Amino acid sequence: MVAQPHVQDHPRALAADPVILRSKETFQFDPLPPDLDTLPKHFLARVKEYGDQIAMRKKRYGIWQEYTWNDCYDYVNRFCLAMVDIGLKRGDKVAIIGENDPQFYWAEIAIWAAGGTTTAIFTDANLQELAYIVDNSDSVYLIAHDQEQCDKALAIRDKIPNVRKVIYWDDNGMWNYPTDWLACFDIMVDEIKPYADAHPGLMESMISEGHGEDIVLFSYTSGTTSLPKGAMIRHRNLIYGNRHVINLAPTYPTDNYVSFSPPAWITEQSLGVAGHLITGVVVNFPENASTIQNDIREVAPSSLLFPSRIWEGLASTTQMRINDSTWFNRVLFKAFLPVAYQVINHQDNNTHIPRHIRALHHIGESVVFKPLRNMIGMTKVRNAFTSGSTLTPDQLRFFRAIGVELKNLYGSTECQSHTLHYAGNIKLETVGPPAPGVEVRIAENGELWIRSRAVFAGYYKDEEKTAQALDADGWFHTGDAGYADADGHLIYLDRVSDMIQLANGEAFSPQYIEGRLKFSPYIQDVMVVGGSDTHFVAAIINMDFDNVARWAEKRRISFTTFADLSQRDEIYDLIKAEIHRVNQTLPPAARLKKFVVLHKAFDADENELTRTRKLRRRTLEQKYASLIHAMYHEIPEVIVCAEVKYRDGRTGILETPVRVCSVDAE
Amino acid sequence: MSDEGTDVKLHVQNISLSFGGIRALNNVEFKVKRGEIFAVIGPNGAGKTSLINSINGFYHPQQGAIVFDGRDISALPAYERAKIGISRTFQNIALYTNMTALDNLMAARHIHMKSNLLTGALFVGAAKREEVEHRRKVESIIDFLEMENVRKTIVGNLSYGLRKRVELGRALALEPTMLLLDEPMAGMNVEEKEDMARFILDIHERQDMTILLIEHDMGLVMDISHRIVALDFGQKIAEGTPSEIKQDERVIKAYLGQEA
Repeated sequence: MVAQPHVQDHPRALAADPVILRSKETFQFDPLPPDLDTLPKHFLARVKEYGDQIAMRKKRYGIWQEYTWNDCYDYVNRFCLAMVDIGLKRGDKVAIIGENDPQFYWAEIAIWAAGGTTTAIFTDANLQELAYIVDNSDSVYLIAHDQEQCDKALAIRDKIPNVRKVIYWDDNGMWNYPTDWLACFDIMVDEIKPYADAHPGLMESMISEGHGEDIVLFSYTSGTTSLPKGAMIRHRNLIYGNRHVINLAPTYPTDNYVSFSPPAWITEQSLGVAGHLITGVVVNFPENASTIQNDIREVAPSSLLFPSRIWEGLASTTQMRINDSTWFNRVLFKAFLPVAYQVINHQDNNTHIPRHIRALHHIGESVVFKPLRNMIGMTKVRNAFTSGSTLTPDQLRFFRAIGVELKNLYGSTECQSHTLHYAGNIKLETVGPPAPGVEVRIAENGELWIRSRAVFAGYYKDEEKTAQALDADGWFHTGDAGYADADGHLIYLDRVSDMIQLANGEAFSPQYIEGRLKFSPYIQDVMVVGGSDTHFVAAIINMDFDNVARWAEKRRISFTTFADLSQRDEIYDLIKAEIHRVNQTLPPAARLKKFVVLHKAFDADENELTRTRKLRRRTLEQKYASLIHAMYHEIPEVIVCAEVKYRDGRTGILETPVRVCSVDAE
Repeated sequence: MSDEGTDVKLHVQNISLSFGGIRALNNVEFKVKRGEIFAVIGPNGAGKTSLINSINGFYHPQQGAIVFDGRDISALPAYERAKIGISRTFQNIALYTNMTALDNLMAARHIHMKSNLLTGALFVGAAKREEVEHRRKVESIIDFLEMENVRKTIVGNLSYGLRKRVELGRALALEPTMLLLDEPMAGMNVEEKEDMARFILDIHERQDMTILLIEHDMGLVMDISHRIVALDFGQKIAEGTPSEIKQDERVIKAYLGQEA
């Protein structure tokens, strides 16, 4: 149906009348039986079912170490009893900060088994953020991965007086720490062993007291606008949230899942932890953050859900690697990529694929695309999803062309998956139709409302925000803007509050333009500005340092630092060409007229991005107000001052001139 | 020969080293205690590296003795000293640049290997078991130094900071009881330096390792070492705790010149 996406897929104005979207698929969702209404109950069922089969793998010492379901049971049972032994009670809250590891999963299951609620926290949280969430969630224990996290906990000890104990599971460097407040996971499960052996069935009896309506976790929303709030998620929510998806994206116990999305993100809890317990999928944990790409390649997972950032990065590095490859590979890739695009167009239009194209595509498969998929570990991928902010059609088409059927999934912390693409229902410019069991309503103002059994129970200790988000009829008000197309697919625009009014009065999504620009391997991040009070759209660009530096090196352009490189004429020309290309696909009023290449990258530590790497627009607008002002007032150059902290505690001011550049209209 | 108590790991006894007419070390004497982080500081050309070379057996001082674990090792060649537990890193990284990080570490296990050329070539029985055992040791070092991502990378392609780390890993692969680190943090950025300092402290803490290091970053030296000896023109000019060294007139003079 869509021939050339750039002709007709630019979002139009918000829909006017309320519409309710439902899935066309009919699935029966039985009420949960009492013996399977919580996640720990699912865990027991899986242990019984699969026993000595592999449940998890963790790469350590260069080898995939395996854990069977029985092994997992052993750890969970013992950790659960050990936690109860030191005082964990039903209804207690426990915060966990750590990377993906078997111990993370075991700790969560153990705490849920004892009737506790967990809160996962992003590992790069700074002291203030950590203290806020631990305190706000009323956590009485903190499970901290390693020395780094324990050091943070010790630094804020006086701010989190309710925390009785901090438990770590990686003891590297922890040998000489005081033990009055810190405890080691391994030692706890070792010491409890005689007791656990003498009391079989103790955890099971605690699990049987659990109920589907119990709160299983608090998921702190990234809070692009305000302080993070803790969304209360019930067992029922996670179980249904998972069911909504797996009907359309089947997962089998023989499948492999790679756990590396931050567990503080609801997706990892929903598809990772809950998915593991419900479907029995094997979870694989990479060696560490820097080996992920290679580890994924070794596992060749069947399901992948990355935030769109990761896909964007993958598209850029793939293209960059091809550019760096031998001339022969480059020629092959350039020859066969258009063939693949043609095949996609034929598939989308339901037209017959000419025989010679099909033959060429077969050759392309074996000489280019299959080896390429092997390089990025996607030989077996069946369910490849992108979530977070939406990917652009360009990016989706790129992955489809190389043979990865990438699908959009739109969801939120509060009710997990709302809509998704599935076989036979893939349209590049949409986020898909609602999942079976989910209703999407488009409110009068264009806001999207969601209702399903996965809708959360409210924000912890925040009646006011809860009342704003959840109405009496059970609709969750997402704050997102979108509209429906003729096939019942949802088109996601942006946050309602982020929509901008163009000079011609049309509403437009800056995120949409940003997505298009980020397809360029040279642009890592971008914030598009412009509104009704300004007469054109402009952008603050973050170059992709690695790729741009490589590009510059190849052309013998010398530079010293990020800031220096970013202000070079050649880089401005490079970026200008990229913008010019994107401008061609945008309606005239949405075309970029000015831009600056920022002297530094947006940084979550400076509060410019959320921890899931979404832009914090308000903060950025304030921080770079002088740049934005310059773009709209014909000022050619701005001196940006940045405060830097030196190691000895002194602070200094770094001044960097940043140039404003116009994109020539044609 | 020696009369030290068991708490002395290394005793450098009045050593003097000359190259022709140049005196690199002149009657240098100090003791390093077991389980201590001991730093050697001094301006360029003070004789720090010559000192380390004398301890590990690259140089043989004309006078004095090196006593290690109560035994005079002055006559031992460098490879014999490696076998009894002295291991070192170099100021100008000396790795096999065309081999992977893993292979560099495995090569260091050589002194612990028992299989001969024939069994090693056939890779059967004991030789294979031995290889697995050595690989296990090496992997635990890779894990300890967080080098998993560069395990299979050719050392020549690694950044300077990572090469330094590989070199430290190789020193550890010898399973020494004493480490000599020649400027482990030279040429690193702040973050790399802090990582390296943490590794040194971890090694010390975990394995109760005695460490002798040469370093120019005074902040770091003062932070991590227990005792310091200062050299100038081959002479020992001061010895003491970091706070004593900071106050020492002669050290200040050596670093800042007469006026200070």
